[in-house]
Amino acid sequence: MTMGQTILRVENIHKELGGKAILNGVSLSVRKGEIKVLIGPSGAGKSTFLQSINFLVMPDQGRVWLEEKPINPTDKKALYEYRQQVGMIFQDFNLFDHLTALANVEIGLIRVKGMKKNVARGRAMDELERVGLKNQVLQYPAQLSGGQKQRVSIARALAMDPKVMLLDEPTSALDPELIGEVHSVIRDLAIRGMTMLMVTHQIRFARSLASEIVFMENGRILEKGPPEKMLSDAECSRTREFCSKINEMSGHLC
Amino acid sequence: MIPQGLTAIKEGLPYLLEGALVNIAVVLGAMALGFALGLPLAVGHVYGNRKTRGLIGIYILFFRGIPLLVLLFLFYFGLFSLSGINASAFTVAIVVLGLISAAYQSQILRGAILSLPEGQMKAALSIGMSKKKAIFFVILPQALRLSIPGWSNEYSILLKDSAVAYALGVAELMARAHHVASRTYQHLYLYLTAGFIFLLLTYLGTKGLNVLYKKVGIPGYLR
Repeated sequence: MTMGQTILRVENIHKELGGKAILNGVSLSVRKGEIKVLIGPSGAGKSTFLQSINFLVMPDQGRVWLEEKPINPTDKKALYEYRQQVGMIFQDFNLFDHLTALANVEIGLIRVKGMKKNVARGRAMDELERVGLKNQVLQYPAQLSGGQKQRVSIARALAMDPKVMLLDEPTSALDPELIGEVHSVIRDLAIRGMTMLMVTHQIRFARSLASEIVFMENGRILEKGPPEKMLSDAECSRTREFCSKINEMSGHLC
Repeated sequence: MIPQGLTAIKEGLPYLLEGALVNIAVVLGAMALGFALGLPLAVGHVYGNRKTRGLIGIYILFFRGIPLLVLLFLFYFGLFSLSGINASAFTVAIVVLGLISAAYQSQILRGAILSLPEGQMKAALSIGMSKKKAIFFVILPQALRLSIPGWSNEYSILLKDSAVAYALGVAELMARAHHVASRTYQHLYLYLTAGFIFLLLTYLGTKGLNVLYKKVGIPGYLR
């Protein structure tokens, strides 16, 4: 895989919630086509970190660049523009419950990008077909399985033509037999060269996709490196301990 | 005695039903005004800054905390006549009931907004929507649907409260029942009739809102 220029760069993100420091100066950059996987125990700040990258959580401190352009979150118009280019996938899907799968994908095209309805419809259909949901377009979220919902949410994000995707445990709310269909959609994205920053503990999946694994704990990045090294031979003892635990859970010894 | 009662009802009924139309007009007017004001109040109460929330809180405290009759007199004999606005009792009844209903409707809608998962707003923002668009296209369409059962309740309360407009001299159902009763001395029969008409209107209105609730329901989402 050829790596291009840096797409996303975040520096020194700090966030305190209720007097407790959640993020203690996290910095990271992702280059074009790269896939970085964030791992770490719960409470490490992974979700807060992802959400502060697109300012769904407003960081107390820290800066963000998209394609080397600094983002000023107080400039509303620039912020909305920026968020369109950073696709976000949530653990619990967050589909708009009152809209069909098709309308979930269309709404951003019509209301944010200002596309004509029929143009938006065509584009939304394409995106849903790409995630294998051609036959479910008129179903409402409550009529879809978890795996289908997550695929709709991926289609919704993709329709905005993002330059990078943030995925926050995209399969952790799914039944085991539904994980595969979502993984295969994410794998397709990777093959097409999408840049991604993903939190996941599906370690086999991470190993097969990630260009780098980043270990976070207590609001800090403790160690990062290529998957083979991180998962079997990490330098930091805490990383080794955590990785051996998740390896055990997934039943694969290193 | 019974035949005289029935005769009084029979003769008074068209007159009473005309009065019921006045109640319906007051309720519809008050519901509409209450909605037009209650919607921005609810949005401001949830998403506004401290100052906005404080002001809305005061509005709600005022209109929920003072008896209807006091407010009717305050507006009709106080505010309106002092400020030289020449409003009919009918208009004042709609305005006062509408202002009160706005306070209650705002809380119905606010509850519905707060019951939606936080992720709905986050997802809308994440695709680049402004907060305003997110509220308009994602939050309100869901919250309004969830508010219908609450409105059904609000309708039945407004309908019954509309009888208090009698105190301002509005010729609504209760006023007319009283009028016919004192002429014919058939109090029992006329108030029973008035009560029955109110009951019927409450039933029909709540039934209608229930039909609406089912009609705008989303498969698997609202029960």
